[in-house]
Amino acid sequence: MPALLRRAGWRLFGSLPALFGVVVFTFLLMRVLPGDPAIFFASGPNAGEAEIQAIREQMGLDRPIPEQLVRYLGDIGRGRLGRSMGTGQPVVTDLVNRLPASLELTLTALLLALSCALPLGIVAALAPNSAVDHGVRLLCTLGVCVPTFVSGLLLIYAFYYLLGLAPDPTGRIDIFASQPPRVTGFLLIDSALAGDWEAWRAAATQLVLPATTMALFVLAPLARMTRAAMLAVLTSDFIRTGDALGLSRRRVVLVYALRNALLPVITIMGIVFSTMLGANVLVEKVFSWPGVASYALDALLASDYAPVQGFVLLMAAIFVLVNLVVDLLYGLADPRVSME
Amino acid sequence: MPLSRRAILAGTAAMPLATGPAMAQSRAETLRQVTGNSVNTLDPTMPGSTREAFGISVNVYDRLVGFGRKQGSNGGWVFDPDTIHGELAEKVETSPDGRTFTFHLKRDAKFHDGTPVTAEDVKWSLDRHVSAKSLAAVQIQTGGWTKPEQFQILDPHTVRATVEKPDRLALPNLCTLYCIIINSKLAKQHATAEDPWAQEWLKTNTAGSGAYSVETFKPGEQVILRRNDAWKGGPLPFFRRVICQTIPEAATRASLIERGDADLSIDLMASDIPTLAQRGRVKLVSTPQFNAFTMIAFNTQMAPFNNVKLRQAVAAALPYQDIFKAALFERGAPLFGAGWQGSPPNGKFPQPLPLTQNLDRARALLAEAGYPNGLDTTFSFNVGSAATSEPLAALLKEALGRIGVRVEIQKLPDAQISTLVTEKKLPFLTETSIAWLPSTDYFFRNFFTGNQRWNYSSWNNAEVNAVAEKARYEQDPAEYDRLSRRLIAILAEDVPIIMLWQPNQDAVMPPNVEGYTYQYHRQVDYRDLKRS
Repeated sequence: MPALLRRAGWRLFGSLPALFGVVVFTFLLMRVLPGDPAIFFASGPNAGEAEIQAIREQMGLDRPIPEQLVRYLGDIGRGRLGRSMGTGQPVVTDLVNRLPASLELTLTALLLALSCALPLGIVAALAPNSAVDHGVRLLCTLGVCVPTFVSGLLLIYAFYYLLGLAPDPTGRIDIFASQPPRVTGFLLIDSALAGDWEAWRAAATQLVLPATTMALFVLAPLARMTRAAMLAVLTSDFIRTGDALGLSRRRVVLVYALRNALLPVITIMGIVFSTMLGANVLVEKVFSWPGVASYALDALLASDYAPVQGFVLLMAAIFVLVNLVVDLLYGLADPRVSME
Repeated sequence: MPLSRRAILAGTAAMPLATGPAMAQSRAETLRQVTGNSVNTLDPTMPGSTREAFGISVNVYDRLVGFGRKQGSNGGWVFDPDTIHGELAEKVETSPDGRTFTFHLKRDAKFHDGTPVTAEDVKWSLDRHVSAKSLAAVQIQTGGWTKPEQFQILDPHTVRATVEKPDRLALPNLCTLYCIIINSKLAKQHATAEDPWAQEWLKTNTAGSGAYSVETFKPGEQVILRRNDAWKGGPLPFFRRVICQTIPEAATRASLIERGDADLSIDLMASDIPTLAQRGRVKLVSTPQFNAFTMIAFNTQMAPFNNVKLRQAVAAALPYQDIFKAALFERGAPLFGAGWQGSPPNGKFPQPLPLTQNLDRARALLAEAGYPNGLDTTFSFNVGSAATSEPLAALLKEALGRIGVRVEIQKLPDAQISTLVTEKKLPFLTETSIAWLPSTDYFFRNFFTGNQRWNYSSWNNAEVNAVAEKARYEQDPAEYDRLSRRLIAILAEDVPIIMLWQPNQDAVMPPNVEGYTYQYHRQVDYRDLKRS
């Protein structure tokens, strides 16, 4: 175990140059994009040159770009990411407040997607080119070709507007319900810790529609990958041996075949998770979910540099962590694969 | 405190009785507004404040004076810039020469923390508005307020304010939402050497005396307000609690209102409004925004549109009624198609100008301008306004194509178009502008003179500059009207911009919400509303 930790530490250390590159690249990219944030935010009824200049100074944009970069790197070293003009808050505070919302939604959606995709992929692989296989293919294709904002709005229309089954699709918890005291920022965990099951229910019901929307979209890569990997494994010698030795079909498929087929599924899961976290801005917008992706989009439209840079850095860091976790999971799924 | 089993049992037994009706009552007495944008500060004078932040501050802070309201042309309530009533001031005395205003403060008015509102607080706040680097200073200088020496404490409950010249907008400027009165004792505790006006602290905290106090403030998500039952600024508002929640998706906002889960939205999609009205489950209050106007602006300092004949040619080529129908679904008041020539019938502004389509005249003017074979140009608009600007641009392109002016349409993101407009680099664009204080000289001074961003056409007409400045200090209504008519006549003749319309503000609410008033800041004044 210490050896594993040491190797994980090295991996993290080794990713620092990549993170540095991401920071510098985003920094320069934001400054190359057209649009002057100072002018955008100086939009008062009579804002003149003096006000624009004041905002520029406040944002540090009156200094030469190399100096701005050095200052920014110094700030990152001290754990600061600047201030968002859009929300008026320090970017770190905003990200800390919003990341749990995105993570809670993405993790729920991923669990939901996996719990559907794995069985679907296995069933499809057991009877390739049967009616069942085609059915799964159709479902996956539908899921991936309907954009998330369309499926999200359709779900809202059906379950909230027409049937009235879902709570109003606005944020993480019913606006009239009381919020559990903040411990982790994950509402399901916080309300469970506080023993407030009414709040837990309120938060869980709010999660259902957005998580389903996201899960539908990522069902296809997960199910298709499971099917492909299972097909390859099911024709292997050890499966034939297992069958020949009279092991139950269930044990052969779920224990011996599935475990060997999991490696590619775990790989794709890591990618899917990272993508969902950053790219699901449409789901966050449609469901008014106070997550990091919609925050970054708003900032980008306003040319608000600090939040966009902070968001990209956060996403890069999460990507590094997710890859590390995926590597660790490899070792669990297949002891022959280690971190070396 | 020792707890007996009996006490606990008695307590739990009594609880449902106590909370049940209270809960039911609180929903009826709670107003939930849903909006697409977010509140980013609690201090409206912060550079970069959103309009939603303005709306919150109106309800959380008091000013010395405020605007009254009147029944508008369509029967709904609108703000009335001509009646001014006291908020923290009980009485305002204006000196006969119009230069001195004496404010007698309400003696029982208190800030949210219970400290009384005194002349010292008023002086500190007004000093802040003219001295600190904030949005307030630029606004209130349009009323002649520029330095702290203008505000004088006469006694703990009386303040005198003096302007150098009798400015028509001196008192109206003190009604605007920048002129909040701040609890100076509280704010000073959080002031620092670099930040003597506590601007940093007031972004996330409040020190007001208004009808509502802030219960929770989550930037970008929601603000929850609680009624201040000790408020002395006016009659106690109906709603005990107000939730202002950010819902980015317009379709979701519309279904929330239709389902009765939300109580008010003023920023739904214009194209959804007719359907919502037709289904009849909601109440729609449509008010033409009489202090706003949508225009097509020419850059009068740059070729080719520095040529007045060319501008007149374009103005004569546009199919106004078709554009009004396609872009705005006729949801607003037209500012084109007036019958007068030469001088307008009155000095009100914005008012319809004599703009009509006449292709023969357009072709003749184009030839006179020196472009018998037409020309190429670019027409720009803001992505944020695409819903109306896109059809507008398409019809404009088609109509101008018929007289030989070839137009390329350019759609730009908000931050980018603001930059280009400020740098005066766009030749031809459409925008919507709004003036908080809708008087003719104010419109002309802000939108048609000077080098600031809002002079979209960079118009620099010597006579307009002089007449607008003269009108600002004109006390005689008849003379003011004469000057105003002159300004409008020059605008109609020189066509630095083409006036199109005043878009409606469509406020959608359940049928039982009443009293909605269109305000100069185009946000919701919760104090006006009640549930029947």
